[in-house]
Amino acid sequence: MRRLWISVGILLFLLGGSLFNAWYAKELTGGMEQRLRLAQQLTEQDQWEQALVLTQEVYDQWESRHFYLHATMRHSDTDQILRGFRTVMEYLRLQEPDQYNAANADLITQLELLAEMEQPSVVNVL
Amino acid sequence: MVFFLFPPNFSGEFWAIRRIIKKEGGKTASEGAKRKSPKLFYEVNTVFTGLLRTVILYVLIIAGVRLMGKRQVGELEPSELVLSLIIADLASVPMQDYGIPLLTGVVPILALLCVTMILSVLTMKYVGFRAVLCGRPSVVVCNGALDQREMARNRLTVDELLEELRCQGYTDLSLVKYAILETNGKLSVLPYSNQKPPTARDMKVSVQESGLPRVVISDGRLLEHNLKALGHDRPWLEQQLRQRGCKGAEEIFLMMVDEQGGVYLARRELE
Repeated sequence: MRRLWISVGILLFLLGGSLFNAWYAKELTGGMEQRLRLAQQLTEQDQWEQALVLTQEVYDQWESRHFYLHATMRHSDTDQILRGFRTVMEYLRLQEPDQYNAANADLITQLELLAEMEQPSVVNVL
Repeated sequence: MVFFLFPPNFSGEFWAIRRIIKKEGGKTASEGAKRKSPKLFYEVNTVFTGLLRTVILYVLIIAGVRLMGKRQVGELEPSELVLSLIIADLASVPMQDYGIPLLTGVVPILALLCVTMILSVLTMKYVGFRAVLCGRPSVVVCNGALDQREMARNRLTVDELLEELRCQGYTDLSLVKYAILETNGKLSVLPYSNQKPPTARDMKVSVQESGLPRVVISDGRLLEHNLKALGHDRPWLEQQLRQRGCKGAEEIFLMMVDEQGGVYLARRELE
Protein backbone atom coordinates (compact mmCIF):
# COMPACT_ATOMS: atom_id res chain seq x y z
CA MET A 1 0.00 0.00 0.00
CA ARG A 2 2.99 2.29 0.60
CA ARG A 3 3.76 2.33 -3.14
CA LEU A 4 0.15 3.17 -3.88
CA TRP A 5 0.15 6.17 -1.58
CA ILE A 6 3.54 7.38 -2.83
CA SER A 7 2.27 7.18 -6.42
CA VAL A 8 -0.95 8.96 -5.51
CA GLY A 9 1.11 11.58 -3.65
CA ILE A 10 3.40 12.20 -6.64
CA LEU A 11 0.42 12.42 -8.98
CA LEU A 12 -1.28 14.93 -6.68
CA PHE A 13 1.96 16.90 -6.47
CA LEU A 14 2.24 16.96 -10.28
CA LEU A 15 -1.41 17.96 -10.54
CA GLY A 16 -0.96 20.73 -7.96
CA GLY A 17 2.21 21.90 -9.70
CA SER A 18 0.52 22.06 -13.10
CA LEU A 19 -2.46 23.96 -11.65
CA PHE A 20 -0.10 26.38 -9.90
CA ASN A 21 1.77 26.83 -13.15
CA ALA A 22 -1.50 27.63 -14.95
CA TRP A 23 -2.45 30.18 -12.29
CA TYR A 24 1.04 31.73 -12.22
CA ALA A 25 1.23 32.02 -16.03
CA LYS A 26 -2.15 33.73 -16.07
CA GLU A 27 -1.14 36.14 -13.29
CA LEU A 28 2.21 36.93 -14.88
CA THR A 29 0.97 37.55 -18.40
CA GLY A 30 -2.27 39.21 -17.19
CA GLY A 31 -0.30 41.91 -15.37
CA MET A 32 1.93 42.43 -18.38
CA GLU A 33 -1.02 42.72 -20.75
CA GLN A 34 -2.62 45.38 -18.52
CA ARG A 35 0.54 47.48 -18.47
CA LEU A 36 1.08 47.13 -22.21
CA ARG A 37 -2.50 48.36 -22.79
CA LEU A 38 -1.79 51.24 -20.41
CA ALA A 39 1.35 52.08 -22.39
CA GLN A 40 -0.75 52.14 -25.56
CA GLN A 41 -3.16 54.59 -23.91
CA LEU A 42 -0.20 56.80 -22.98
CA THR A 43 0.95 56.90 -26.60
CA GLU A 44 -2.57 57.98 -27.61
CA GLN A 45 -2.06 60.93 -25.22
CA ASP A 46 1.31 61.55 -26.90
CA GLN A 47 3.29 60.46 -23.81
CA TRP A 48 5.82 58.33 -25.69
CA GLU A 49 8.58 58.51 -23.07
CA GLN A 50 6.35 57.24 -20.26
CA ALA A 51 5.02 54.51 -22.54
CA LEU A 52 8.58 53.43 -23.33
CA VAL A 53 9.49 53.35 -19.62
CA LEU A 54 6.40 51.27 -18.83
CA THR A 55 7.06 48.85 -21.69
CA GLN A 56 10.71 48.56 -20.63
CA GLU A 57 9.54 47.62 -17.10
CA VAL A 58 7.33 44.90 -18.54
CA TYR A 59 10.22 43.69 -20.69
CA ASP A 60 12.53 43.60 -17.65
CA GLN A 61 9.93 41.62 -15.75
CA TRP A 62 9.73 39.18 -18.67
CA GLU A 63 13.51 38.80 -18.71
CA SER A 64 13.63 38.28 -14.93
CA ARG A 65 11.28 35.27 -15.32
CA HIS A 66 13.53 33.78 -17.96
CA PHE A 67 14.28 30.53 -16.10
CA TYR A 68 10.65 29.83 -15.26
CA LEU A 69 9.49 30.61 -18.80
CA HIS A 70 12.10 28.43 -20.46
CA ALA A 71 11.58 25.57 -18.03
CA THR A 72 7.83 25.43 -18.60
CA MET A 73 7.00 26.99 -21.99
CA ARG A 74 7.98 26.10 -25.53
CA HIS A 75 11.11 28.03 -26.38
CA SER A 76 9.79 29.04 -29.79
CA ASP A 77 6.82 30.77 -28.10
CA THR A 78 8.94 32.62 -25.55
CA ASP A 79 11.43 33.64 -28.26
CA GLN A 80 8.55 35.00 -30.34
CA ILE A 81 7.41 37.15 -27.41
CA LEU A 82 10.96 38.35 -26.83
CA ARG A 83 11.10 39.47 -30.45
CA GLY A 84 7.71 41.14 -30.00
CA PHE A 85 9.01 43.17 -27.03
CA ARG A 86 12.04 44.30 -29.02
CA THR A 87 9.85 45.38 -31.94
CA VAL A 88 7.39 47.26 -29.73
CA MET A 89 10.17 49.14 -27.94
CA GLU A 90 11.80 50.06 -31.24
CA TYR A 91 8.52 51.53 -32.55
CA LEU A 92 8.12 53.40 -29.26
CA ARG A 93 11.55 54.96 -29.71
CA LEU A 94 10.71 55.87 -33.30
CA GLN A 95 7.28 57.14 -32.17
CA GLU A 96 5.48 55.34 -34.99
CA PRO A 97 1.84 55.12 -33.81
CA ASP A 98 0.44 52.80 -36.50
CA GLN A 99 3.32 50.34 -36.39
CA TYR A 100 3.45 50.48 -32.59
CA ASN A 101 -0.27 49.78 -32.18
CA ALA A 102 -0.09 46.78 -34.49
CA ALA A 103 3.06 45.39 -32.82
CA ASN A 104 1.69 45.99 -29.30
CA ALA A 105 -1.61 44.28 -30.15
CA ASP A 106 0.35 41.34 -31.54
CA LEU A 107 2.49 41.14 -28.39
CA ILE A 108 -0.57 41.27 -26.10
CA THR A 109 -2.22 38.50 -28.12
CA GLN A 110 0.90 36.35 -27.87
CA LEU A 111 0.99 36.82 -24.10
CA GLU A 112 -2.70 35.90 -23.87
CA LEU A 113 -2.16 32.79 -25.96
CA LEU A 114 0.86 31.76 -23.89
CA ALA A 115 -1.19 31.80 -20.67
CA GLU A 116 -4.21 30.26 -22.36
CA MET A 117 -2.12 27.31 -23.51
CA GLU A 118 -1.35 26.47 -19.86
CA GLN A 119 -4.92 26.69 -18.59
CA PRO A 120 -6.63 23.47 -17.42
CA SER A 121 -9.59 23.85 -19.77
CA VAL A 122 -11.54 21.26 -21.74
CA VAL A 123 -10.61 23.07 -24.95
CA ASN A 124 -6.93 22.61 -24.21
CA VAL A 125 -7.37 19.00 -23.20
CA LEU A 126 -9.25 18.22 -26.40
CA MET B 1 19.79 22.37 -10.40
CA VAL B 2 20.64 24.85 -13.13
CA PHE B 3 21.25 27.47 -10.45
CA PHE B 4 24.06 25.34 -9.04
CA LEU B 5 25.63 24.78 -12.43
CA PHE B 6 25.57 28.35 -13.73
CA PRO B 7 25.98 31.81 -12.24
CA PRO B 8 22.74 33.76 -11.58
CA ASN B 9 23.18 35.99 -14.65
CA PHE B 10 23.99 33.02 -16.86
CA SER B 11 20.67 32.89 -18.70
CA GLY B 12 20.73 36.62 -19.52
CA GLU B 13 24.25 36.33 -20.92
CA PHE B 14 23.33 33.22 -22.83
CA TRP B 15 20.41 34.85 -24.60
CA ALA B 16 22.38 38.02 -25.27
CA ILE B 17 25.07 35.87 -26.90
CA ARG B 18 22.45 33.91 -28.81
CA ARG B 19 20.94 37.12 -30.15
CA ILE B 20 24.38 38.35 -31.22
CA ILE B 21 25.00 35.10 -33.07
CA LYS B 22 21.62 35.30 -34.80
CA LYS B 23 22.40 38.83 -35.96
CA GLU B 24 25.79 37.69 -37.28
CA GLY B 25 24.22 35.78 -40.18
CA GLY B 26 25.15 38.12 -43.07
CA LYS B 27 28.48 39.46 -41.76
CA THR B 28 31.95 38.94 -43.21
CA ALA B 29 34.36 36.34 -41.92
CA SER B 30 36.51 38.93 -40.12
CA GLU B 31 33.49 40.37 -38.30
CA GLY B 32 32.34 36.88 -37.41
CA ALA B 33 35.79 36.04 -36.03
CA LYS B 34 35.44 38.80 -33.43
CA ARG B 35 32.45 36.87 -31.99
CA LYS B 36 34.18 33.52 -32.17
CA SER B 37 34.24 32.71 -28.48
CA PRO B 38 30.51 33.43 -27.80
CA LYS B 39 29.52 31.22 -30.75
CA LEU B 40 31.70 28.41 -29.47
CA PHE B 41 30.18 28.88 -26.03
CA TYR B 42 26.68 28.60 -27.51
CA GLU B 43 27.52 25.43 -29.41
CA VAL B 44 29.13 23.82 -26.37
CA ASN B 45 26.09 24.75 -24.31
CA THR B 46 23.71 23.13 -26.83
CA VAL B 47 25.64 19.88 -26.75
CA PHE B 48 25.79 20.03 -22.97
CA THR B 49 22.02 20.52 -22.78
CA GLY B 50 21.47 17.53 -25.03
CA LEU B 51 23.84 15.39 -22.98
CA LEU B 52 22.29 16.38 -19.67
CA ARG B 53 18.78 15.79 -20.95
CA THR B 54 19.69 12.40 -22.34
CA VAL B 55 21.24 11.30 -19.04
CA ILE B 56 18.29 12.54 -16.98
CA LEU B 57 15.68 10.88 -19.19
CA TYR B 58 17.71 7.68 -19.49
CA VAL B 59 18.06 7.35 -15.72
CA LEU B 60 14.36 8.07 -15.33
CA ILE B 61 13.38 5.35 -17.81
CA ILE B 62 15.78 2.82 -16.31
CA ALA B 63 14.25 3.53 -12.88
CA GLY B 64 10.79 3.08 -14.35
CA VAL B 65 11.60 -0.22 -16.06
CA ARG B 66 13.33 -1.44 -12.90
CA LEU B 67 10.22 -0.62 -10.87
CA MET B 68 8.11 -2.61 -13.31
CA GLY B 69 10.06 -5.75 -12.42
CA LYS B 70 11.67 -8.50 -14.49
CA ARG B 71 8.57 -9.27 -16.53
CA GLN B 72 8.83 -5.89 -18.22
CA VAL B 73 11.74 -7.16 -20.27
CA GLY B 74 10.13 -10.23 -21.78
CA GLU B 75 6.47 -10.82 -21.17
CA LEU B 76 4.29 -7.75 -21.13
CA GLU B 77 0.78 -7.28 -19.83
CA PRO B 78 -1.30 -4.85 -21.89
CA SER B 79 -0.84 -1.95 -19.48
CA GLU B 80 2.92 -2.59 -19.37
CA LEU B 81 3.15 -2.74 -23.15
CA VAL B 82 1.32 0.58 -23.45
CA LEU B 83 3.64 2.12 -20.90
CA SER B 84 6.70 0.87 -22.77
CA LEU B 85 5.45 2.22 -26.07
CA ILE B 86 4.51 5.64 -24.72
CA ILE B 87 7.42 6.18 -22.40
CA ALA B 88 10.03 5.77 -25.14
CA ASP B 89 8.26 8.26 -27.36
CA LEU B 90 7.83 10.77 -24.55
CA ALA B 91 11.50 10.61 -23.68
CA SER B 92 12.73 10.95 -27.25
CA VAL B 93 10.95 14.26 -27.96
CA PRO B 94 12.72 16.54 -25.44
CA MET B 95 15.89 14.51 -25.97
CA GLN B 96 16.02 15.52 -29.63
CA ASP B 97 14.30 18.91 -29.64
CA TYR B 98 16.03 21.41 -27.36
CA GLY B 99 13.25 23.92 -28.01
CA ILE B 100 10.90 21.89 -25.85
CA PRO B 101 11.24 22.17 -22.07
CA LEU B 102 12.60 19.08 -20.34
CA LEU B 103 9.60 19.17 -18.02
CA THR B 104 7.30 18.29 -20.92
CA GLY B 105 9.05 14.93 -21.02
CA VAL B 106 9.69 14.41 -17.32
CA VAL B 107 6.18 15.25 -16.03
CA PRO B 108 4.29 12.83 -18.34
CA ILE B 109 6.82 10.06 -17.70
CA LEU B 110 6.49 10.51 -13.92
CA ALA B 111 2.70 10.61 -14.26
CA LEU B 112 2.72 7.42 -16.35
CA LEU B 113 4.93 5.61 -13.86
CA CYS B 114 2.67 6.67 -10.98
CA VAL B 115 -0.49 5.59 -12.80
CA THR B 116 1.12 2.26 -13.69
CA MET B 117 2.15 1.74 -10.09
CA ILE B 118 -1.40 2.53 -8.90
CA LEU B 119 -2.88 0.12 -11.45
CA SER B 120 -0.33 -2.51 -10.45
CA VAL B 121 -1.27 -2.27 -6.76
CA LEU B 122 -4.99 -2.30 -7.58
CA THR B 123 -4.64 -5.39 -9.80
CA MET B 124 -2.87 -7.16 -6.94
CA LYS B 125 -5.61 -6.26 -4.47
CA TYR B 126 -8.75 -6.71 -6.58
CA VAL B 127 -9.25 -9.76 -8.82
CA GLY B 128 -12.13 -8.11 -10.72
CA PHE B 129 -9.99 -5.09 -11.53
CA ARG B 130 -7.21 -7.39 -12.70
CA ALA B 131 -9.62 -9.11 -15.09
CA VAL B 132 -10.70 -5.74 -16.50
CA LEU B 133 -7.19 -4.42 -16.94
CA CYS B 134 -5.28 -7.53 -17.98
CA GLY B 135 -8.08 -9.76 -19.27
CA ARG B 136 -8.57 -13.43 -18.46
CA PRO B 137 -6.77 -16.48 -19.85
CA SER B 138 -8.74 -18.14 -22.68
CA VAL B 139 -8.95 -21.91 -23.04
CA VAL B 140 -8.76 -22.41 -26.81
CA VAL B 141 -8.27 -26.19 -26.72
CA CYS B 142 -10.18 -28.26 -24.18
CA ASN B 143 -9.80 -32.04 -24.06
CA GLY B 144 -8.27 -32.03 -27.53
CA ALA B 145 -11.18 -30.07 -29.06
CA LEU B 146 -10.90 -26.56 -30.45
CA ASP B 147 -13.07 -23.91 -28.82
CA GLN B 148 -13.87 -21.94 -31.96
CA ARG B 149 -15.87 -19.25 -30.20
CA GLU B 150 -12.99 -18.54 -27.85
CA MET B 151 -10.57 -18.51 -30.77
CA ALA B 152 -12.76 -16.03 -32.65
CA ARG B 153 -13.07 -13.87 -29.55
CA ASN B 154 -9.27 -13.70 -29.33
CA ARG B 155 -8.91 -13.37 -33.12
CA LEU B 156 -6.68 -16.43 -33.10
CA THR B 157 -6.56 -18.25 -36.41
CA VAL B 158 -6.12 -22.02 -36.76
CA ASP B 159 -2.77 -21.44 -38.48
CA GLU B 160 -1.52 -19.31 -35.59
CA LEU B 161 -2.68 -21.90 -33.06
CA LEU B 162 -1.03 -24.76 -34.93
CA GLU B 163 2.16 -22.74 -35.29
CA GLU B 164 2.25 -22.07 -31.55
CA LEU B 165 1.62 -25.76 -30.85
CA ARG B 166 4.40 -26.82 -33.25
CA CYS B 167 6.75 -24.36 -31.55
CA GLN B 168 6.11 -26.23 -28.32
CA GLY B 169 6.60 -29.64 -29.93
CA TYR B 170 2.99 -30.71 -30.52
CA THR B 171 1.95 -31.60 -34.06
CA ASP B 172 -1.13 -33.62 -33.13
CA LEU B 173 -3.98 -31.66 -31.59
CA SER B 174 -5.45 -34.81 -30.06
CA LEU B 175 -2.42 -35.03 -27.73
CA VAL B 176 -3.26 -31.68 -26.17
CA LYS B 177 -5.59 -31.66 -23.19
CA TYR B 178 -5.58 -27.90 -22.73
CA ALA B 179 -4.15 -24.98 -24.68
CA ILE B 180 -4.57 -21.71 -22.84
CA LEU B 181 -3.97 -18.29 -24.34
CA GLU B 182 -2.49 -16.30 -21.44
CA THR B 183 -3.05 -12.59 -20.83
CA ASN B 184 0.50 -11.83 -21.97
CA GLY B 185 -0.26 -13.36 -25.39
CA LYS B 186 1.65 -16.62 -24.85
CA LEU B 187 0.09 -20.04 -25.36
CA SER B 188 0.41 -22.55 -22.53
CA VAL B 189 0.05 -26.15 -23.71
CA LEU B 190 -0.85 -28.93 -21.28
CA PRO B 191 -0.74 -32.42 -22.83
CA TYR B 192 -2.70 -35.43 -21.60
CA SER B 193 -1.04 -37.08 -18.63
CA ASN B 194 -0.09 -40.13 -20.71
CA GLN B 195 1.74 -37.85 -23.13
CA LYS B 196 3.89 -36.21 -20.49
CA PRO B 197 7.47 -37.47 -20.07
CA PRO B 198 7.84 -39.57 -16.94
CA THR B 199 9.46 -37.92 -13.97
CA ALA B 200 11.73 -39.48 -11.37
CA ARG B 201 8.77 -39.57 -8.97
CA ASP B 202 6.61 -41.36 -11.57
CA MET B 203 9.36 -43.94 -11.95
CA LYS B 204 9.88 -44.12 -8.18
CA VAL B 205 13.57 -43.35 -8.54
CA SER B 206 15.44 -41.56 -5.77
CA VAL B 207 17.44 -38.62 -7.11
CA GLN B 208 19.78 -36.54 -4.98
CA GLU B 209 18.95 -32.83 -4.91
CA SER B 210 21.96 -30.84 -6.10
CA GLY B 211 20.62 -27.44 -5.07
CA LEU B 212 21.53 -24.11 -6.59
CA PRO B 213 25.06 -23.98 -8.02
CA ARG B 214 26.90 -20.74 -7.24
CA VAL B 215 29.81 -19.10 -8.96
CA VAL B 216 32.80 -19.15 -6.61
CA ILE B 217 35.52 -18.03 -9.02
CA SER B 218 34.73 -15.86 -12.01
CA ASP B 219 37.49 -14.96 -14.46
CA GLY B 220 40.19 -15.40 -11.81
CA ARG B 221 38.32 -13.44 -9.12
CA LEU B 222 37.19 -15.16 -5.92
CA LEU B 223 33.60 -14.40 -4.90
CA GLU B 224 33.88 -14.70 -1.11
CA HIS B 225 30.20 -14.12 -0.39
CA ASN B 226 29.18 -17.09 -2.57
CA LEU B 227 31.80 -19.30 -0.94
CA LYS B 228 30.50 -18.36 2.51
CA ALA B 229 26.88 -18.80 1.43
CA LEU B 230 27.71 -22.40 0.47
CA GLY B 231 29.19 -22.97 3.94
CA HIS B 232 32.79 -23.38 2.77
CA ASP B 233 36.00 -21.50 3.56
CA ARG B 234 39.28 -20.71 1.82
CA PRO B 235 41.14 -23.86 3.03
CA TRP B 236 38.36 -25.98 1.50
CA LEU B 237 38.66 -24.05 -1.76
CA GLU B 238 42.46 -24.36 -1.81
CA GLN B 239 42.14 -28.10 -1.24
CA GLN B 240 39.67 -28.39 -4.13
CA LEU B 241 42.01 -26.45 -6.40
CA ARG B 242 45.03 -28.58 -5.38
CA GLN B 243 43.08 -31.77 -6.09
CA ARG B 244 42.49 -30.45 -9.62
CA GLY B 245 46.12 -29.41 -10.11
CA CYS B 246 45.58 -25.66 -9.79
CA LYS B 247 47.79 -23.33 -7.77
CA GLY B 248 45.36 -20.46 -7.28
CA ALA B 249 42.14 -18.73 -8.28
CA GLU B 250 43.92 -16.71 -10.97
CA GLU B 251 44.26 -19.91 -13.04
CA ILE B 252 40.49 -20.50 -13.06
CA PHE B 253 38.07 -19.04 -15.58
CA LEU B 254 34.92 -20.38 -13.91
CA MET B 255 34.31 -22.45 -10.81
CA MET B 256 30.80 -23.35 -9.72
CA VAL B 257 29.90 -25.26 -6.58
CA ASP B 258 26.50 -26.68 -5.71
CA GLU B 259 25.01 -27.26 -2.27
CA GLN B 260 26.16 -30.90 -2.26
CA GLY B 261 29.78 -29.90 -2.84
CA GLY B 262 29.75 -30.79 -6.54
CA VAL B 263 32.33 -28.72 -8.41
CA TYR B 264 32.40 -27.55 -12.00
CA LEU B 265 35.73 -26.07 -12.99
CA ALA B 266 36.97 -24.45 -16.20
CA ARG B 267 40.59 -23.39 -16.43
CA ARG B 268 41.69 -20.17 -18.01
CA GLU B 269 43.02 -20.59 -21.48
CA LEU B 270 46.62 -19.45 -21.72
CA GLU B 271 47.10 -16.24 -23.71
